[in-house]
Amino acid sequence: MSDKFKNIIITVSFMACVVGGFLINIIIKDEKISESERRKLTQFPNASLASIMDGNFMTNFNDYSVDQFILRDEFRSLKSLIEFNILGKKDNNNLYIVNDAIYKMEENFNYNEIKKAADKFNKIYEEYLTGMNVYYSLIPEKTYYLSDKGIYTSIDYDKIADIMNSNIKNMKYIDIYDCLNEDSYYRTDTHWKQEALAAVVNKISENMNFKEYLKSNYTTKTIDDFYGVYYGQLALSLLPDKITYYTNSVIDESAVYNYETQKYAEVYDLTKLSSMDKYDMFLSGATPLLRIENPNCTTGKKLIVFRDSYASSLIPFFVEAYEEIMVIDIRYMPSSMLKDYIEFSNQDVLFLYSTLVLGNSSILR
Amino acid sequence: MVFSSISFLYYFLPIVLILYFLVPKKAKNFVLFIASITFYFYGEKAYTVIMLAQILLAYISGILIDKYKGTKQAKTVMSVAVMLCLGVLGYFKYTNFLILNINNLLKTSISILEVMLPIGISFYTFQIISYIVDVYRGKAEVQKSFLKLATYVSLFPQLIAGPIVRYVDVERELTNRKITLEGVSSGVTRFTIGLGKKVLLANSLAKLCDIFKLSDEKSVLFFWIYGIACTLYVYLDFSGYSDMAIGIGRMLGFNFLENFNYPFISKSITEFWRRWHMSLGSWFRDYVYIPLGGNRVSKLKFIRNILVVWGLTGLWHGADWNFILWGLMFGVLLLLEKLVLKKYLEKLPAIFSNLYVMLIIVISFVIFNSNGMEEVVFYLSGMFGGLDVPVINNTTMYYLRSYIVTIVIAIIASTPLIKNAVIRLKEKRRINKIINVLEPIFVVCLLIATTSYLVDDSFNPFLYFRF
Repeated sequence: MSDKFKNIIITVSFMACVVGGFLINIIIKDEKISESERRKLTQFPNASLASIMDGNFMTNFNDYSVDQFILRDEFRSLKSLIEFNILGKKDNNNLYIVNDAIYKMEENFNYNEIKKAADKFNKIYEEYLTGMNVYYSLIPEKTYYLSDKGIYTSIDYDKIADIMNSNIKNMKYIDIYDCLNEDSYYRTDTHWKQEALAAVVNKISENMNFKEYLKSNYTTKTIDDFYGVYYGQLALSLLPDKITYYTNSVIDESAVYNYETQKYAEVYDLTKLSSMDKYDMFLSGATPLLRIENPNCTTGKKLIVFRDSYASSLIPFFVEAYEEIMVIDIRYMPSSMLKDYIEFSNQDVLFLYSTLVLGNSSILR
Repeated sequence: MVFSSISFLYYFLPIVLILYFLVPKKAKNFVLFIASITFYFYGEKAYTVIMLAQILLAYISGILIDKYKGTKQAKTVMSVAVMLCLGVLGYFKYTNFLILNINNLLKTSISILEVMLPIGISFYTFQIISYIVDVYRGKAEVQKSFLKLATYVSLFPQLIAGPIVRYVDVERELTNRKITLEGVSSGVTRFTIGLGKKVLLANSLAKLCDIFKLSDEKSVLFFWIYGIACTLYVYLDFSGYSDMAIGIGRMLGFNFLENFNYPFISKSITEFWRRWHMSLGSWFRDYVYIPLGGNRVSKLKFIRNILVVWGLTGLWHGADWNFILWGLMFGVLLLLEKLVLKKYLEKLPAIFSNLYVMLIIVISFVIFNSNGMEEVVFYLSGMFGGLDVPVINNTTMYYLRSYIVTIVIAIIASTPLIKNAVIRLKEKRRINKIINVLEPIFVVCLLIATTSYLVDDSFNPFLYFRF
C-alpha cells in the first residue's frame, strides 16, 4: 500500500467510525433498561437554561451517551475479553471465572462493618426481643468454598464469624459454614441454590427445635435460563444456570402477604420469572416486610426472620413448621417501624445474613 | 469535557470536524472559536466568562503595548496585564492554600473560599502571558483580530491540559494553515495512540494505585509496585493527553510543538527535564529563569534562580507543600548535577545512570501523587522499610500477576523502542508496504478497544485537570 493510499484509508476509516457512530447513535432508539446489568439506563436529559447553567444537563448527557451507546453489551463483552485475554488481568470489574463459575472479589472489605452489624442486632434485641428465643446464622459467599483458589485472595470468613460471636449478646449462633460447598451456589449468581440447602435446613431446624415438624416430601420443578447478577456484570457469554425449586401442598396452600404492595402472593411467585432477576421468584424478591401464613399448620408456632435475599429460597422449607412467619428486611424499612406491624411475644427469632450484606452494614436501618 | 469520553469522541468531535471541513477557509477560525467555547462551557459553565475576560484583557493590552511600543507605558501595560492574569490564577488556585497556612501558623481561623479551580486556567494563563510578553519584547506581532486571539487562547485541543502553545508558534497558522491529507492522517494516528495510552493503560494503572491506597494488605513490594504504577500512570496520562492534543491540532491544520520526548530513557535529571513537559520547562526558562539572569550571574544568584524556578514549577502543579517539595527536590538535584555529579554521570554506563534517574523519578512521583505531606512520609516510609508491613504478601502477588502485562506494555510504551523499530523497518520498501496495511488496522482496532473501555466505565477524569 502506498503512503498516500494508507493516509486515505486511515482518514476515511476514522471519520467513518466517529461520524458513523454519531449518526447511528442519534438514529437508533434509546433503550429503557439494560437486561444484562439489571438497571435503568439514563435517558436523554431535559435541556433547560437552568439545567445547562448548573451543569446537570452535561453530567446527565455524559451518562446518557455511555448508557445508550450502540451495541453497549457487545462493547462491554469486548472490554472483558481484552482485559482477560490481552492484558492478562485476573479479574474484570472484580469478577473472575473458575470452573465456569463466576466469583467476586471483595476488594477492601471493611471488618468494622461486621462489628456495626452486631451492634445493630443487639440494639434490635434490646428494643423488641428481650427474653425471646433468638438465633443467628451467617452465610458466607461462595469464594469461601472455592477449593481451587489459586492466586485469588478472599476475605476471612472465619474472622467475620469471630467478630459476630464476640459482639452479639443474648443470641444463639447456628454455624452453617459446614453445610455448604462450592456447588451450593449458582454459577452466574451470588445466591445459593435451593436444592443445596438440605443440610442448612437440618442444622437450623435442629438448633431451633422445629425439625420434628418438617415431615412432607417435596417435588421439584425447574426453570431454565437463569442468568445471574454476575453474568451481566462480567459481560462474557457463559452457560446460564437453572433454578430448581422445591414445593408441596403445604407450600402451595400457604399465602404470602406483602405489606408494601398490600397484596397476597404465592411463596413461589412465578410472575417474577419475566422480570430481570428470576431469583426474585422466591418470596417475590426484595421487599421490606412479608407475612407467610400457613393455614394447615397446627403447631401454634410463629417465627420472625431478619434477613437478606439469601433467606428467600431457604424460608419456604420452614413454612411447614410455623403458622406464621414474619420476614423482615431492614435494608428497606427502618427497624424502628417494626412495632407498628409486629407484636413481639413468644415467637422464634432468626437473624440470617450473608457476609456480603454484613460487610455493608450501614445499609441496615 | 474530556477527550476520553463518549460525548467527546462520538458527539463533539464528529460535529466539529464536519462543520470545520465544510465551511470556507474564512469561517474556520469562527467554527473553532465557537467549538472551543462550547467545549469549555460544557465542563466549566460560568467560568467560561473568566476565560473570555482574560482573553479580552490580553487583546486590549496587546494593542496598547503595540501603540506605546518602546516607551515606558508599554512596560507598565505589560506589567499590569501580567499581574492581573497571575492575580486571577492566584485567587482561584492559591488563596485557600495561603489561608490554611496562615491559619496553621498564626492559629487564626479565617474561613476558606468556596471556589473551584477553573479547569485549564494554569495552562491558558501561561499562554496569555506568553502572548503579552512576546508582543512587548517584539517577538510577536500584535494580533488585531479578537477572534484570532480568542481562537488561539481557547483552542480546545490544548485548552485544558496543554501543551502550553506559544503564540509565536501558531501565529502564522492562525491566519493561514493548510489542511493536508498527510496532516489529518498522521493526526488521526497520533490522537488514537494518545487515547489508547490514556484509556487502556493510564486508567488501568490509576485503578491499581487506588486499589493500593485503599488496601489493608500493604507490603514493601506493593509500595514499590505502587510507585512504579503511579510514575507510569502520570506519564501515560499526561503524554497521552498531549498526543491527543497534537493529533487533533494536526487534523485541524495546526502544528503544535512536542511536549514529551520519552523522558524515562534519560541518563540525568537535567536530561529528564529536557524531555518531560517541555512546553512548561521552556516557558519557565524564557519567562522566569532568563529574566532573573539565568546562569550568567554569580553562583549564589544562579542557585537562587534555579530554586525560584523549581519552587514555582512545583507550585504550578498544585497548591500544596508536597508539590513545592517535589519542585524544589528537582531544583536541588539539578544544581547537584550541574555543580558536582555531571562528570561522574557521564562516565557511568548508561544503564546505571538511567537507574539513578528512574529511582529518583519514582520517588518524586510518589511525592507528587500524595495528598499533602503526611501521605508523602507514609508512602516513602513504606517503600524503604519504615513501616511494619511484610516484604510481600498474597494480595501483592495477586495484583502483580493481574497487572504485570499492563505494566510491561506501559514501560514499552514509555520508550521509543516501537517507534524506532517502525522507522527502521519502513526503510525497506517492501516492509513499508506491509506497515502501511497494518497501520490503519491498528488505528481502527485501538479506537474500538478504547470505545469498549469507555462504554464500560463512565467515570474517567483526567489527572491534569487539577492544574
